[in-house]
Amino acid sequence: MNAIVALCHFCELHGPRTLFCTEVLHAPLPQGAGSGDSPGQGEQAEEEEGGIQMSGRGRAHSPAEGAGAEPGSAGPRKSDMCEGCRSLAAGHPGYISHDKETSIKYVSHQHPNHPQLFSIVRQACVRSLSCEVCPGREGPIFFGDEQHGFVFSHTFFIKDSLARGFQRWYSIIAIMMDRIYLISSWPFLLARVRAIIDELQGKALKVFEAEQFGCPQRAQRMNTAFTPFLHQRNGNAARSLTSLTSDDNLWACLHTSFAWLLKACGSRLTEKLLEGAPTEDTLVQMEKLADLEEESESWDNSETEEEEKAPVLPGGADGRELTKCPTDSSLLSDRGSWQPRKPTGFKSLRHMRQVLGAQSFRMLAWHVLMGNQVIWKSRDVDLVHSAFEVLRTMLPVGCVRIIPYSSQYEEAYRCNFLGLSPQVQVPAHVLSSEFAVVVEVHAAPRSTLLPAGHEDEQPLSKYEFVVTSGSPVAADRVGPPILNKIEAALTNQNLSVDVVDQCLFCLKEEWMNKVKVLFKFTKVDSRPKEDTQRLLSVLGAAEEDNVKLLKFWMTGLSKTYKSHLMSTVRSPMASEARS
Amino acid sequence: WRLHTSSLLPCTRAGGWSCSEFDLKETRLIVYQDCERRGRQVLFDSKAVQKVEEGAAQKAEDVPVKMSARCCQGSVGSGSVSSHGSSSGGSLPHAKEQLPKYQYTRPASDVNMLGEMMFGSVAMSYKGSTLKIHYIRSPPQLMISKVFSARMGSFCGSTNNFEYINQDPNLGKLNATQGKNEFFLSLLQACSSRLLQGVAEGGPLRLTRSASFFAAHSTPVDMPSRGQNEDRDSGIARSASLSSLLITPFPSPSSSTSSSSSYQRRWLRSQTTSLENGIVPRRSTDEMFSLAEETCSSNPAIVRRKKIAVSIIFSLCEKEEAQRNFQDFFFSHFPLFESHLNRLKSAIEKAMISCRKIAESTLRVQFYVSRLMEALGEFRGTISNLYSVPRIAEPVWLTMMSSTLEKTQLCQRFLKEFTLLIEQINKNQFFAALLTAVLTYHLAWVPTVMPVDHPPIKAFSEKRTSQSVNMLAKTHPYNPLWAQLGDLYGAIGSPVRLTRTVVVGKQKDLVQRILYVLTYFLRCSELQENQLTWRGARGESGQVVDGRQIVTALERGEVEESEYVVVTVRNEPALVPPILPAAAAERRSPGPAGFAETLEGTDGRAPGPTPDKEASKRPEQSVGPPELAADGAWQPQGVFCGAEGSKNEAPEGDALLLCPCEAPGAGMRAGQPAADEEARGELAKKGPDRSAARPCPDRHSWQKPAGERVTFHIGSSVSPESDFESRTRKMEERLRACGQHPKEAARDQQVSRCPSRPGPGDSARCPQTRSCRGTAGDPGRGFAEDRDVRTDAAAGAAAGGPGHAAGSLSPPDGAAATGRRAPETTVGLGLEDREGPLVEPGGNRAVQQDSGLPAAASVPRGDANRKAHIRTEGNIPRNESSDSALGDSDDDAGASAALDWSHSGDRTDGALEVELPLPRSQSISSQNVRNFGRSLLAGYCPTYMPDLVLHGTSSDEKLRQCLVADLLHTVHHPVLDEPIAEAVCIIADTDKWSVQVATSQRKVTDSTKLGQDVLVSSQVSSLLQSILQLYKLHLPADFCVMHLEDRLQEMYLKSKMLSEYLRGHTRVHVKELGVVLGIESNDLPLLTAIASTHSPYVAQILL
Repeated sequence: MNAIVALCHFCELHGPRTLFCTEVLHAPLPQGAGSGDSPGQGEQAEEEEGGIQMSGRGRAHSPAEGAGAEPGSAGPRKSDMCEGCRSLAAGHPGYISHDKETSIKYVSHQHPNHPQLFSIVRQACVRSLSCEVCPGREGPIFFGDEQHGFVFSHTFFIKDSLARGFQRWYSIIAIMMDRIYLISSWPFLLARVRAIIDELQGKALKVFEAEQFGCPQRAQRMNTAFTPFLHQRNGNAARSLTSLTSDDNLWACLHTSFAWLLKACGSRLTEKLLEGAPTEDTLVQMEKLADLEEESESWDNSETEEEEKAPVLPGGADGRELTKCPTDSSLLSDRGSWQPRKPTGFKSLRHMRQVLGAQSFRMLAWHVLMGNQVIWKSRDVDLVHSAFEVLRTMLPVGCVRIIPYSSQYEEAYRCNFLGLSPQVQVPAHVLSSEFAVVVEVHAAPRSTLLPAGHEDEQPLSKYEFVVTSGSPVAADRVGPPILNKIEAALTNQNLSVDVVDQCLFCLKEEWMNKVKVLFKFTKVDSRPKEDTQRLLSVLGAAEEDNVKLLKFWMTGLSKTYKSHLMSTVRSPMASEARS
Repeated sequence: WRLHTSSLLPCTRAGGWSCSEFDLKETRLIVYQDCERRGRQVLFDSKAVQKVEEGAAQKAEDVPVKMSARCCQGSVGSGSVSSHGSSSGGSLPHAKEQLPKYQYTRPASDVNMLGEMMFGSVAMSYKGSTLKIHYIRSPPQLMISKVFSARMGSFCGSTNNFEYINQDPNLGKLNATQGKNEFFLSLLQACSSRLLQGVAEGGPLRLTRSASFFAAHSTPVDMPSRGQNEDRDSGIARSASLSSLLITPFPSPSSSTSSSSSYQRRWLRSQTTSLENGIVPRRSTDEMFSLAEETCSSNPAIVRRKKIAVSIIFSLCEKEEAQRNFQDFFFSHFPLFESHLNRLKSAIEKAMISCRKIAESTLRVQFYVSRLMEALGEFRGTISNLYSVPRIAEPVWLTMMSSTLEKTQLCQRFLKEFTLLIEQINKNQFFAALLTAVLTYHLAWVPTVMPVDHPPIKAFSEKRTSQSVNMLAKTHPYNPLWAQLGDLYGAIGSPVRLTRTVVVGKQKDLVQRILYVLTYFLRCSELQENQLTWRGARGESGQVVDGRQIVTALERGEVEESEYVVVTVRNEPALVPPILPAAAAERRSPGPAGFAETLEGTDGRAPGPTPDKEASKRPEQSVGPPELAADGAWQPQGVFCGAEGSKNEAPEGDALLLCPCEAPGAGMRAGQPAADEEARGELAKKGPDRSAARPCPDRHSWQKPAGERVTFHIGSSVSPESDFESRTRKMEERLRACGQHPKEAARDQQVSRCPSRPGPGDSARCPQTRSCRGTAGDPGRGFAEDRDVRTDAAAGAAAGGPGHAAGSLSPPDGAAATGRRAPETTVGLGLEDREGPLVEPGGNRAVQQDSGLPAAASVPRGDANRKAHIRTEGNIPRNESSDSALGDSDDDAGASAALDWSHSGDRTDGALEVELPLPRSQSISSQNVRNFGRSLLAGYCPTYMPDLVLHGTSSDEKLRQCLVADLLHTVHHPVLDEPIAEAVCIIADTDKWSVQVATSQRKVTDSTKLGQDVLVSSQVSSLLQSILQLYKLHLPADFCVMHLEDRLQEMYLKSKMLSEYLRGHTRVHVKELGVVLGIESNDLPLLTAIASTHSPYVAQILL
């Protein structure tokens, strides 16, 4: 709870005084934002702890601190204090408790060290004991304002055989800036604070009774002539609460109790807040990573890029797992934020489109989307690599199988992106197949092929790209809507690369959602053909290209998702939907 | 069309709060003023007002208030007064007739006391408004008060109206007539300060805060990207203040983008309400009670030293349960109460100002009183409605979230209703429009579809609770009630808009269906209530029975030197007994010797590199506050170490002293599994008895001169005396069986280690060494004695070397001993760890035992430990059975877990607080139903209600009357405790098939309309159609719901795309957006709103 709990006392000599005050210190930054599973463990927690020391402590900027080695008694000068208005002895450093799980610390001193808090607590104390009126004098009351904070206060008496009226007046206060929370905690605070007070009063009563038994003050006072300064003169006039309760550990006990109160009140209400399901791409990545880890093999793809692009994973178990394993960097870059470092490669789909020309690019893109095998033949490995990195952004992560550079032809079922050196022979049936597209990269005869003025394209201008396929996509063919949209996005120069990325991401997710439905419909529920046809038209994907695309993309669904669907369908409830 | 009504719709129940138990008519209003010069006067007390029926009026004349009654009777004319009628904003049933007549009686006798409570006994200089709540025990009443500084009518130069009052001849006369009726007098004073004169009929009452409010409210954050992007022509300039309302990313640690807006809001809340580094006043403090006219320039300098308090007193039912119900409601819904109180205050201000224009004093009073009574009536009605309104029994979203069991049925039920509505009431796109509006304004659904970036590997593909938010709640507690309220009102975008939805229609059934379906889209978090208990968490084998605990204390006799045992049986102690460090604190305080010692210890440590070395060596490990070590506290540890090495029961003794309630548990854990059962049984009894048998007066204590008691808290329900002997015997046998060797070894180890420690130049260790040496003989002695030593090891040992003759000193502090355990172990640990590498195999055992011990010791230290334990247990299977964190001998994990805990982050600090562990806690969670999610989603109500997030009603009559005022009020007195930019109400009328959005920002020009018609988003239409089609294709309901979520996620992604596009574009052409992004223009409002939850700058561009 973002609060300060304090014990206050109305001293007969000095008026309202703050006796003891427990504050809450939080870690400056919440830990493990993304992973709640493993708080307070490992290095990260350690750092957090360190962080607290450095910046979380209020004392760093406490002017009172400079006064000497008495952090606990900053505030009124000692001469203004009597036993009654002191809690911890001079020089006592105060108490601290750590809540390791939450990195929260509870610190108790007589006064807060922070000057602003000091005055806030002081003000609350004064109001609690000498301004605000509580019917019956003992009881709860709430008061406050935006400037001084809001206060829940419970006043009470403690028996003291030596005090005027045989009792002393105290209060326990809780100060918060959040009045809504403080007020909503009223019933809770009332019960807890009341219980603490009861115990204090009980202790004091025992002492009181014992003292009265030994030396009845009332009689004594009757006999003594009244002296105006009786209280001041009497050494016992201001007794500490410790002696009133005869509990030497009272302050430690109060610290623990207050800390506990703060903890309990702070965690009294918690929220259950749902967040969105991970996207398929995320799931697939996770699965791949898990597989990778299992095999404990590193993907030789491009480890160099890893450091740079690995998402900042919060600490904790999964975070560490992820970062530990040398991952295929590309796994983590599905969103297309990938920017090849190599100056020679393709920078983006748009770039590729410019380089290849709209026609060739469209053909290539169509094959990519349909899951046909895309073969790049080039001497330049980096170029091929960059091409694949760019092209893959059109597909769901699960649909991408890359063999970046091979010395021999690999079958389509093994990869949909295949890089080959120019010497490798691609089988004739593949070359003539409508399910494959080949991009041959030749050295350009002259650098006249590309329009001038594209300095950044210079490195590629030395190449000439020939895109061929068994079934060239007719230029006039409408094509799948997703391809058209991608093209539109690439064409429009008003759109930044980031927007295009977002756009791609949207489109992919949109189609993945259709894929999910189709999967559920055909694979899980095994519905008849005609129903499927209806479904496809509901999804707006009745055309041949779309169906083909959906079927291909279905292979990209995560295992998690598939098994989830499989398992739910088997549960008895699901099938009897509404019969 | 018609609806199938075949199925019973789970719709509404009578609210969770029943009004019958409680008469809100008793709600009392008191207005008081406190003048610096004249003191306090009651300006109004509803208890002193009685409504007079025409006929009965004469009768009422008799008793004490003849005069006043007559005054009213005679004076209430028609004409001038009633013409002021309807401006009060509320309904005025008698507007046409004469004002209802009221009779004044003397204010109730308690009014002075109440005044005292409202203002306090001492005047506060603070100028802003103060909020107070009092509980009055008998008769049970709850009073909320707000005290304002009054802003006087400095009315265009004329000064001191109030000062002249007493000299006003008219008034003098009146006063005379009224006699001692102080109430009346002050009332008149307040009201008559400005007599009818230059009647500038003002518009709606000026809200003093409105102008300066936003400006004065400076969010403690820098506003990024203002200025450059600000487009004056685009309408943003109009709301320059709005930009300060944008949810600005507080420097947030979250790397996760998921649910970022929820996360951000909560983080921001925790930061703005933080007390840690001083406070940030979040609101302007100039909320005042305005007695000035609208036309008056409000010059703050003119504020008089005068305060006005407005109090509402709720009489509580005598029946306890009813009382608790209302209290629960009141405290959990306080923001709403406060908002209505503010409204009441505004009405009072207005009444006071306008009644000045009435020259005739009795008329004026009559006018004033009736206005206030009206306002009070309104307040009562609203609160009463709020309390008793029918609620939707099972809001879909909340129910789905909380009950996983019936999820499928829930989905089916929901989908059935949903598709029914799509099919049947989407003529004219009614339903699509409604849903568009709801999705546009009640934005809390957005975070629930934002995809998680980094789910755990084995993530279920569905939604899960946000871990980051959960963690935040733990590390930086914020206010979940507030968060939920904001979610419900959809106030999570930027600028912040607060939205309500009303479905109007004569067909109750239809309206209810719509409401039901909407509760799926109106999302908020579910609240849980957690009860944290620190005791009895492990109620094993009856040590703690019925939450009772036996406390045994050695009390020092008052007269004689001996001590006696006090046994107390208690319920639920509220004071949590601390686990004290070894006398460090105590010792330090009294004696100069002790102090010196501390200093020495500190000195010894400070220059030493050890702490750092230690820290780097094992980060989580703790060496404990070093001065503890310096105190020689670890010496008893030596004793323990040895004991522990050999026996099972040692930890029991330890545990005994550790923590009252958990001691047995801890003890058991500490022991070897085999021995656990018996050990557990025994220790409870043995402990106290032994300590009783061997009080420690003579053992003692160079550390503390003061005399104290030994207090053992034992969680045992059985008498400590019972069968002690036999148990002891058994125990001893077992101990013997366990072999002495380890003990010997340990002892040797311990002894030999001590002298060896003083490494040359290792200053850091000096203190320990010193203390070690000082007590070197003691362990030996301890072992030489019989095992009893161990039992009261803590007492004896903590007290210092038993060998030291301490008889002369006062009896040792047992309570301290209780607490001392933990630090001892901590220290021991530190030592152990340090020693670890140095120790030869022979000593290893002892070392490890040693390290195990703290694991037990750590048990009571707080629930953070639970984690550590769980982990430990996971690692060391054999411990699982015994639930033991205390590993056997070589339980390194246990040790490290303990180390982990006792790590003191402040080690490097100069002045170190004494560390006290928190008790271990256990949390019992239950669903909290007293929250906004359950109370603000209402069913079909008899009339329009202002606060509800969602409700239905039969006609829009009252809505038309109140809406504008309600919206304005919402903006000016936001219930959310943060400034809001706009208040919105979605009105779906199923009779006219229209969906309109009314907002506080635009005035509707067309008087037939309540707001603007909603543009139907084609995204939403297509979503509805495809859900319907899928449903018709017999896809299972829960899959359809999943698909629905996917589609909502698509919308979110599109909004991402939009916001990305808008980044850098300060001017946007709608057409271009459409062409480029495939976003149709009718989608824009929706997508922009969604985007505003994650990209605040969008609002600046598009607003």
